[in-house]
Amino acid sequence: MNLRPIILPAVGVAILVMLPMFLSANMLAASITMMIAALFALAFTLAMGQAGMLSFGHAAYYGLGAFAAIHIMVAVEKKLFFFPTPLIPIVGGAIGFVFGLVFGWFATQRTSVYFSMVTLALAELLYTLAPVWNTVFGAESGIQTERGPSWGITFGPDFEVYYLTLAWFVLSAWCLWAFGRTPLGRLALALRDNEHRVRFLGFNTHLARTLIFAISCLFTGVAGALLAISKESGNYELFGPSNSANVVLQTFIGGAGTFFGPAFGAAVMTFFARVTSDLTRSWLLYQGLIFVLVMLFMPEGLGGIVSLHARRVKSGGWKVLVLPYLVCLVCGALLIAGIVFTVESLHTVLTDAYNAKRVAAKGAWVPYQLFGRSFEPLSPVTWTIPLALLALGGLLLRLATRLISRGWLLATGAAASDDPNGRAAAHDRPQGATA
Amino acid sequence: MSFGAQAILSGSTHAEASGATAATSSAEKVLELENLHKSFGETKIIRGVNLTVKKQQRHALIGPNGAGKSTLFNLISGHYVPTSGDIRLNGQTITGLPPHLINRRGLSRSFQITNLFPRMSVAENLRISVMGRHGYRFTMFRPIRRIKAVNAEVDEMVERLRLTRRRDDLAGDLAYSEQRALEIGMSLATDPLILMLDEPTAGMSREETAYIVEMIRNVTEGRTLLVVEHDMSVVFTLCDQISVLVYGEVIASGEPAAVRADNKVQEAYLGEEVH
Repeated sequence: MNLRPIILPAVGVAILVMLPMFLSANMLAASITMMIAALFALAFTLAMGQAGMLSFGHAAYYGLGAFAAIHIMVAVEKKLFFFPTPLIPIVGGAIGFVFGLVFGWFATQRTSVYFSMVTLALAELLYTLAPVWNTVFGAESGIQTERGPSWGITFGPDFEVYYLTLAWFVLSAWCLWAFGRTPLGRLALALRDNEHRVRFLGFNTHLARTLIFAISCLFTGVAGALLAISKESGNYELFGPSNSANVVLQTFIGGAGTFFGPAFGAAVMTFFARVTSDLTRSWLLYQGLIFVLVMLFMPEGLGGIVSLHARRVKSGGWKVLVLPYLVCLVCGALLIAGIVFTVESLHTVLTDAYNAKRVAAKGAWVPYQLFGRSFEPLSPVTWTIPLALLALGGLLLRLATRLISRGWLLATGAAASDDPNGRAAAHDRPQGATA
Repeated sequence: MSFGAQAILSGSTHAEASGATAATSSAEKVLELENLHKSFGETKIIRGVNLTVKKQQRHALIGPNGAGKSTLFNLISGHYVPTSGDIRLNGQTITGLPPHLINRRGLSRSFQITNLFPRMSVAENLRISVMGRHGYRFTMFRPIRRIKAVNAEVDEMVERLRLTRRRDDLAGDLAYSEQRALEIGMSLATDPLILMLDEPTAGMSREETAYIVEMIRNVTEGRTLLVVEHDMSVVFTLCDQISVLVYGEVIASGEPAAVRADNKVQEAYLGEEVH
């Protein structure tokens, strides 16, 4: 029996189990959110990556799962009945599944962009209704509650929530992985490739797509419930389009064609958002830039790049790639520095606060503060910095491209002119297609 | 386990079993079209087609371009719904049923444009087909590799289609003739009472045509066939019955020699194309 597919996940789980020992309180909270985002992305990928159903409305099932959990927690708090906290995600999953079946039944009547539009409309429907239905979804401020102690665990401290989230994450990830290996899971891939043909092979494709969509919603509901448990609150913003959009972006950045790529992408981007949103108000711009760059230069996403290397690079081939990738790293750092300097400078100069300073100085272009230093907005010296960074980065980029394409040929031993930046990946076998 | 695939490829389990249950006068008639009409808006494409395909017949449907052959195929397989008329499969009407239910009743078709799952392997393409016939349509609590009957049958099919070497290659990476072979194999793997092939040799070189015709003869032995084909040499090698469709009507139907001699056919179609 091949142990490789077991060892890697086992090591991953072991790391996640040990992690809280090394994390600050802030980072522990961050890793809970990251795991929830990762689970959301995995669930979304079942619909998107495997079955080819690009849903723009997965926030609906995320929010419904969360509110189901909140209402259970409220009821337990009011002592209406007892329900063990660790099992609350089951309720979230059930609600997600039921609504996935109902909404999915309508949405899967259509394919491609029309499907996406229906899912978007259904989620928007909830988003508009939620703030009005106060008793169910709370008003603007939402509903606050508390985790009840169960099974001798208080679920007070964050590390207990961490392990609860981890347990559900591992269980759900395994279920989703195993599902991909069942007849229905394989059918999902066939539906993605050619629904028309599936129909002529005797399958009710509408039913199949509804079912697969609902299973995706089930695990989305579990993720939503975990979010509610960790936040102990929820409001109608959960249904907002930004949640639907984020999971799409994270999945594509992570690589929709791989199994763990989306989870990785979601974790990385959630972490990125958490860190950068404290540092700058332009963090959404950077997030958008990352998405555009990934789509342009590695459309298979981070996971796609990793799996491409795992499949194609021969043993020992790594040595040839170290130098090109180091050059690439330096070049990337220069370009990023140039872009960040420009964006942050503009951001500072274009704010009301700066404008007020200018008015106080009778219209003069006063110096602005950035990275703890002072810069003259009209001085050529100021703008030489980003221009020099970008020019140097651009020059290095040409070198890096050449080094990488040569290194790639050596590392893979292929005579074909494949480049590692996606074009080769595009016609390569996506991981989801392997049994 | 090999028994299943053998039965499918040379003869038929499904076909004989259901043939026996429908022990009426129509038992021998696998497919019957009765006064079939199809209009798209004002345009009448199919204008009263009557056609009978009997068990184990190898029936060719020929006709000039625009005669309505593909439309007729789409009507029979459930892709289009007829404007009027009746389609009976093994004596039971299938008019207006969705494609997947028609397939489950024993009618399988291949397509003119290669129609498979390009990002899945050859074996997986066949497996989708085979698992559906075995009733594993929405199974989600059992890994597919544990379903031995399905996998054994897939292996046999791969071998019979002479695709063993390409078993784990992506269907989209196959050569054109191999893709056609795979597609026919997928249609066949649903173990149909009648197999409909839409221009199986379209766009092929002489060698590829010879290969695919030989393959079809091989894997469809003892089965009922309905084939649309332009290449007359293919028609005469593969089929024992010919129906001629012109402007949405069947103008002649019968054995090749009789159809060849038919005046109307000579006038309308065969005159120029076949000496």
